[in-house]
Amino acid sequence: MKKGLIIGLLVAAVAFGAGMFFGRSGKQEMTISSSTQGASYSGGFKGEGGAATTGITSVAGPAPTNVVVVKDGESIQAAIKAAPKGTIIRVMPGTYHETVYVDKDDIRIIGVIEAGRRAVLDGEKKLNDAILYSGNNFVAENLEIRNYKGNGIMGQAGNNFEIRNNVIVDSGVYGIFPQLGQNGIVEHNVVSKIADAAIYIGMSDNILVAHNDVFDSVAGIEIENSRHAIVEHNYVHNNTGGLLAFVTPGLPIKDTVDVIFRNNFVVGNNHPNFGAPGSTVSGIPAGTGILVMAADDVVIEGNIISDNKVSGIIVTDHAHAQNITADPESEPNSDRVKILDNVMLRNGYDTITEAKALMLAEGKMGAKNLDIVRVGPSPGSCIINRHQYVTVGVSDFTECDFTNTSATVNYLLPPVPPREIKPGERGKVVYLGICTGCHTYNGRMIGPPVQVIQALYMDNPQGLADYIAKPAKKRDDYPEMPPQDYLDPETRLAVAQYMLQVTN
Amino acid sequence: MLISHSRGFAVTSWIGTLLLMYGAGAFAAEGEQLFAPCIACHGSKGEGNATLNAPAIAGQDAAYLERQLLNYRNRRRGADKSDALGAQMQAMATTLADDAAVAKVASYVASLPKTVNAAPAPGNLHNGNNLYQGKCGACHGGKAEGNPALKAPRLAGLDAAYIKRQFAHFRDGARGTDPKDAPGRQMAMMAKTLPTERDLDDIIAFIHRQGRPK
Ligand code: HEC
Ligand code: HEC
Ligand code: HEC
Repeated sequence: MKKGLIIGLLVAAVAFGAGMFFGRSGKQEMTISSSTQGASYSGGFKGEGGAATTGITSVAGPAPTNVVVVKDGESIQAAIKAAPKGTIIRVMPGTYHETVYVDKDDIRIIGVIEAGRRAVLDGEKKLNDAILYSGNNFVAENLEIRNYKGNGIMGQAGNNFEIRNNVIVDSGVYGIFPQLGQNGIVEHNVVSKIADAAIYIGMSDNILVAHNDVFDSVAGIEIENSRHAIVEHNYVHNNTGGLLAFVTPGLPIKDTVDVIFRNNFVVGNNHPNFGAPGSTVSGIPAGTGILVMAADDVVIEGNIISDNKVSGIIVTDHAHAQNITADPESEPNSDRVKILDNVMLRNGYDTITEAKALMLAEGKMGAKNLDIVRVGPSPGSCIINRHQYVTVGVSDFTECDFTNTSATVNYLLPPVPPREIKPGERGKVVYLGICTGCHTYNGRMIGPPVQVIQALYMDNPQGLADYIAKPAKKRDDYPEMPPQDYLDPETRLAVAQYMLQVTN
Repeated sequence: MLISHSRGFAVTSWIGTLLLMYGAGAFAAEGEQLFAPCIACHGSKGEGNATLNAPAIAGQDAAYLERQLLNYRNRRRGADKSDALGAQMQAMATTLADDAAVAKVASYVASLPKTVNAAPAPGNLHNGNNLYQGKCGACHGGKAEGNPALKAPRLAGLDAAYIKRQFAHFRDGARGTDPKDAPGRQMAMMAKTLPTERDLDDIIAFIHRQGRPK
């Protein structure tokens, strides 16, 4: 009886409060919360036993005891080829012009830094990738990587990875790119001048991205079609867009869920967009601090977000995004976004026409700044202390019933078993782990859409297999496709056959 | 010695150039003659005539033009019962004497300057851009300029009605069905993937924004 009444009253109060926020009276009722006092977020990943995991700082398991030293003038790849699984490859300072493939488990490539001199992998703008790993429990540390055309470090379905303390400069489309991995750490890296995403977490789960310095790239840190990721304490500056959580349509994993962006510096991300025109990433407006597109349960907390000229935070859906082709199997909206306390300064001082139109519609044309924009549906979203920011489109966000994420330490796990590959699934795993890094089913990412490739090679899988071994340049407005000749001919044919029959 | 050698070289190269010029000139002149009957429908600059349903053919590369003329002649195109306009062109293509004549007229048309579509079509450019990038640009080029390496023609100069008609032909099996017509079959497969007619209108609006003088 009594209980019923209280709930009834509460509903009335909430409706009243919401009504006041909807109103344009200029004087809004404020709900003031303190982030050190309120409840903590408990909606994220639960490890075994139900609790958010805590305190794990390493995921690759115990370090191997077998050590091999590679000196300037020698080959890292040769050492890895000769090494048994479970080897530390210690790389002495010097310059190495090579692509390193790691298909064994428990390999650690550890650079030795002597008085500031590092082991430098230099692609001289001729080589595509610096390091490609498909082994599990892989570690890369203390390296310097420059002048590659494809990727700095790319993971292809390897679990339990640690990538730390590396310097990566001007190395193609992705600087650090674990694809289809579970349980990984990317920390203390300095990554710059990357033509797509400096750090790109693709189709991966249970990830920590922390303490990285990321700048002069198109996308700073991108969490894409991935689940359970924490991105914290990074310095993300002078990119086109700083932090991004989104769903790229047409990839085999269809959602991005449970991402925490906290305690990052997201500063002055106004770099002109130099992504290939027409590609997904070229649709990011220069001046975007944080972008959430079609990702669910993204928590934004404790960041210092300043001097991003379009907006501090943009929340949007597939329908409003540029260069995105909708995917019927992907839910297009950003559901349940949670914006907690952030320090927002001088954002949105030179914003885009679309945002100006929205400000006009909300009677905010006088505002000189813009901190948060939401376009497209974003059901179940909440915010605290909204009165602190200049916002458009967040009037229907509710008040969050928590004010911080301090109960969630990280989402890392003790080493997980390798991804299971059934016989006959080789083509599928290569497709997921490699090709979908650049090709989506029906949109333009780095390479042409898979649907188009299916038309071009409809009854010619061998032709496709031959193409990827030695790709010819066919399109002026696309970059070159890196050769996949490290895959053996049977694998190339298997992936060709798989690619020609996928349906989404 | 040195002087006479250099003079000899100069003389042969001069004769060579003359021959070349004569050859190319004769070829072009023949192409121009062969093109005369086409002007009635396609216009003197190959710019097309929408009221006659004749598309712009200037701006296409020689290989594409030659392939289409041969397709008409081999009844791979313009032979379907539903395709009355294709049948008109099919009849015209068979008036060309032989494959050599086809090659000549094709290379003449390919040498004409590109045309810009006179009447841009309206539509939702946001949707048109996104769908074009996702479904068309990887073959027809980012600016609808065509890509000979993929045998995909230029779309930027074509009028809306023609694009819609050809698209429907590909989708509905009037063009691009012959097992030997690989490029046509590639296009036919893509034409079946577009959800709605309105999407095509939006794509055409985007196409007509490309290559226009600003
Ligand atoms: C680093 C990015 C990248 C990765 C990874 C990648 N591709 Fe590509 N791919 C491209 C680009 C860029 C093009 C366009 C190249 C051009 O047209 O010059 C392309 C083009 C293609 C084409 C079109 C060929 C044609 O004739 O038009 C095929 C087929 C293809 N890729 C297959 C694959 C397969 C299979 C894989 C996985 C084994 C793969 N790609 C991995 C970037 C990539
Ligand atoms: C009676 C009017 C008429 C004449 C004369 C004519 N055409 Fe056409 N042409 C058309 C029509 C109509 C089409 C479109 C047919 C269709 O819908 O398939 C066409 C299509 C074409 C195409 C295909 C264009 C494309 O983008 O695929 C080519 C090439 C072509 N004509 C070349 C020629 C040449 C060369 C001549 C002269 C030898 C010629 N035409 C004479 C009416 C004509
Ligand atoms: C797989 C590559 C490919 C893709 C993707 C593609 N096309 Fe094509 N298209 C072609 C080829 C090849 C031809 C020429 C076919 C022939 O030789 O008859 C063509 C022809 C056409 C024509 C006929 C042009 C003419 O002059 O008659 C139109 C119209 C067209 N495409 C529109 C589109 C549109 C719109 C899209 C996107 C929805 C698209 N195409 C996507 C390859 C492609």
